[in-house]
Amino acid sequence: MKVLVPVKRVIDANIKVRVKADQSGVETNNVKMAMNPFCEIAVEEAIRMRESGSAEEVIVVAAGTTQAQETLRTGLAMGADRAILIETDVALEPLSVAKLLKAVVDKEDPGIVLMGKQAIDGDNNQTGQMLAALLDWPQGAFASKIENNDGTLRVVREVDAGLETLSMSLPAVLTVDLRLNDPRYASLPNIMKAKRKPLDTVTPADLNVDVTPRVMVVKVDEPPARDAGIIVADVTELVDKLRNEAKVI
Amino acid sequence: MTTQDPTPPLDDLLELTGDAVRSTETLLSQAHDHVLGQVTKNGRVDSGLLEAEQLAAHGFAWLATYTESLRQLHGWAERLAASDRFGTVEKLILQIGFGEYCSQICGGIPLSQVEIIRPRDMGLTSQQTHGFFKGGVKRLVTEGNTAAARMALARALEDANETGDYGALGFDDDMLDMVRDQFRRFTREQIDPHCHQWHLNDELIPMTVIDQMAELGVFGLTVPEQWGGLGMSKTAMCVVTEELSRGYIGVGSLGTRSEIAAELIRLGGTDAQKEHYLPKLASGEILPTAVFTEPNTGSDLGSLQTRAERRGDSYRVTGNKTWITHAARSDLMTLLVRTDRDEPGYKGLSMLLASKPRGTEGDDFPAQGMSGGEIGVLGYRGMKEYELRFDDFQVPSENLLGQVEGQGFKQLMATFESARIQTAARAVGVAQNAMELGHTYARERIQFGKPIYEFPRIGGKIAWMAVETMMARQLSYFAARERDQDRRCDIQAGMAKLLAARVAWSNADNALQIHGGNGYALEFPISRVLCDARILNIFEGAAEIQSNVIARGLLSPRN
Repeated sequence: MKVLVPVKRVIDANIKVRVKADQSGVETNNVKMAMNPFCEIAVEEAIRMRESGSAEEVIVVAAGTTQAQETLRTGLAMGADRAILIETDVALEPLSVAKLLKAVVDKEDPGIVLMGKQAIDGDNNQTGQMLAALLDWPQGAFASKIENNDGTLRVVREVDAGLETLSMSLPAVLTVDLRLNDPRYASLPNIMKAKRKPLDTVTPADLNVDVTPRVMVVKVDEPPARDAGIIVADVTELVDKLRNEAKVI
Repeated sequence: MTTQDPTPPLDDLLELTGDAVRSTETLLSQAHDHVLGQVTKNGRVDSGLLEAEQLAAHGFAWLATYTESLRQLHGWAERLAASDRFGTVEKLILQIGFGEYCSQICGGIPLSQVEIIRPRDMGLTSQQTHGFFKGGVKRLVTEGNTAAARMALARALEDANETGDYGALGFDDDMLDMVRDQFRRFTREQIDPHCHQWHLNDELIPMTVIDQMAELGVFGLTVPEQWGGLGMSKTAMCVVTEELSRGYIGVGSLGTRSEIAAELIRLGGTDAQKEHYLPKLASGEILPTAVFTEPNTGSDLGSLQTRAERRGDSYRVTGNKTWITHAARSDLMTLLVRTDRDEPGYKGLSMLLASKPRGTEGDDFPAQGMSGGEIGVLGYRGMKEYELRFDDFQVPSENLLGQVEGQGFKQLMATFESARIQTAARAVGVAQNAMELGHTYARERIQFGKPIYEFPRIGGKIAWMAVETMMARQLSYFAARERDQDRRCDIQAGMAKLLAARVAWSNADNALQIHGGNGYALEFPISRVLCDARILNIFEGAAEIQSNVIARGLLSPRN
C-alpha cells in the first residue's frame, strides 16, 4: 500500500507573523519558512506505517512555489521515499488544493491519504474533508490514534465532547491532530540520503486542474491591540461600570 | 538619536566596505614590514626577538585577524546581495561591524581587557595611520557604528530570540539549513530543558543523550563513507557543533571530539587501524579521549615527559597526565608519550591508541596500571575533568599510531586545523546562547514601565553581540571551507578560534550584566554560560599561544 502525505510550506511556527505594510497579506519576504507542524505529524505517522509493514511506500506531495521543494526535502529526510511538487505561483485555495490532490491520487492510487488537519497559516481546516468528498472516500479528521487491522482502520478522533472512535475501510483520507505522535528528527544519514531520492515536478495544467482563485483578499489587519485595564475603587464602582459602561449587567 | 546621524543603513555600503577591506590590507602589510624588521636577525625570524617583541607580534596577529574577519564579512554580504538575501538586518550588521572594527584598528584593539594594542605598538607611523583613515574607512568609522545604527538593528532583531535567526547565514546549500533546523530543534527539545541541572549537579551528560546523538549521525559526520561515516563537510561540522553548543558546550564538545580522534587515525593510522577504529568511532560505539597535557606540559608539548618503553610486544607507560576530559567514561585514549628518551624535543614523541575500560560506579579507572582523580571545575562540565597516573600501564605495540615511532607530534599537528575550527564553532554556539539568553531576559524584564531591551545601552549591547557573533561565525565558516578544499588553513583556523573565544566571553559577560543581580544567581542559565565561555580562551591553544602561532606563521616564509 502507498501512503500519500500532502505537506505545506508555511511561516515557521516560532515566528511572530506581521502584516505587510500595504495590508495585502502577511509578510513572507526574508521570513523563515518550515513544514506545517501538523504535516510533520502526518509524515511521521506514514513512516511508522511503513516501518511496521502496513505500508510499502510513503510519497510526500506539496503544491506551491519552487521553494516548496525545501519542505519536500525535509519530508524525504524524515524518511519518505519520494516526492512530487505541483509547482504554481498562484496562491491556492483549499478547494484547488483538494482538486490537485485528487488528480495525484487518481494517478498514484494510494491506500491512505494522510495529512495535517489544517495549516497554521490559513487555519482553514478544509482540504482533507474536501478531498474525501471529491474522491468519495471515507474520512477520519482530527485523528489522535490510528490502527490498521488488515485493511480496516480504527481511527480515534478528538472532538469537542471527547474521543470518538470510527471504523472505516480503505482507501481513506485521514487528517491528523497534534497528539498523534512526536515527529522524529531528520538524522544526518537521512538528510544525505534525501538528496538522492526522486522529486518529480508537475504543474496544475499537467493535472488538468484550474486553480484560478475564487476568493479575493481585500485587506489584512493586525488584531486590535487590547486597551489597558483600570483599577476600580470598590464594588459599587465596579457594578456601576459593568452596568453603565460595559452594559453587561 | 542625535539629529546629525544619518538614517542607517548607509547607501553604497558594499562599496564602502570593499574599500575599507583594501585599506585594512594595506595597513596590515605595513605593520607586517615593521614587525618583521623588529624580529628578524640574519634574514630569519629570531625566537628571542619574537619573544622580546611579543606585544607587537601578537598585536599584528590580532590586526591580521581583524583584517580577515572584515574580508569574510564583506564576502558574506556580497554573496547575500547576489542572491537577494541582503536585508536590513544584514546591512546593519555589515555597517556596524566595519564601523567598530575599523575604529578599533585606529584607536586600539583589545587583546584582552588589560592589553590594548595601538598602531604605534606595531611600529606604524602616524602618516600610515592617517593614510588608513580615508575613504570607506573614514565614512564607516564616523557613520558606521552609531547609536542610531545600533538601535535600528536592535529594533529589527526584536523577535530574533524566538527563532535564533540573527541575520542570514549565507549558506549556498539548502542542506545546511536543514541540518541547522534539525539540530536546533533537537537542542531545544532534548538539551535546553535539562543542561542547566546537569551543570548544577556536576553530572555527566546522560548516556541516553549520547545514544540519540549517535543515532542522528553526529559522531561520524566528517568520517569518510568507506569507514562508516557520512563524509560531510567541515562546514556541516561547524553547523552541528554550533547548534549543540548553543544548548550546552559539553554536548557540542562531545559531539565532535570523536571526529578529531577519527581524523588523527585517518591521517596517521595504518590501514588496519583505520578499519578497526573508524567505523566504531563514527557509530559512537567507541568514545575517545585526548590524553596529551601533563602537570608541567601545557602549551609547550615538546617538554612532554610521560614515557613509553617497548618491552616485547607491548609498551609500558609511566607518567602523569592532567586535564583529561571525559577520561572515566571513554573507551579509547589517544595517548601522547615519549618513546625515545634520548630525543628531548618533539621528535621523541609517539601516539598510542590505548584502550581502557569505562569507569564503574565505585571505580573511575578499573584498569591495571592506571589511576586518576577528578578535578573540580567552574564550568565546561558534563564530561568531567581528570588527572591520570600511569604506572607500568600496558599498551600492545600494534596500537602505536602509524606503526612508526617519533611521529606523535606531527600526527597531532595534522589534526590541529580541524580541532581549532571545531573549537571556533563551539565558541560561536556559546556566544549565540549568551546573546539569546540576554535578549530574552531584556525583553521580559520591565523597569521604568518598559522592557529594558528598549533602552539604548541594553538593546545596543544585543545588537553588537549579533554583529560580532556573525563576524566570528563567518570567519569560522571560511576556515572550514578552506579545509574542505584541502587548502592549508592553520592560520585562518587559529584566527577563527582566537576571535570566537573572545566574542563568546564578551557576550556571556554582557548578557550576565543585562540580567543584573539575577545573572549572578546560580538558578539562571547565564551564570553557567559565563563559566562555560571562560574556558574557550584557554583550551585548544590559549589566546596568547594562538596569537604567537598566527604571528609566527604570517612572519615566516611559508612553503
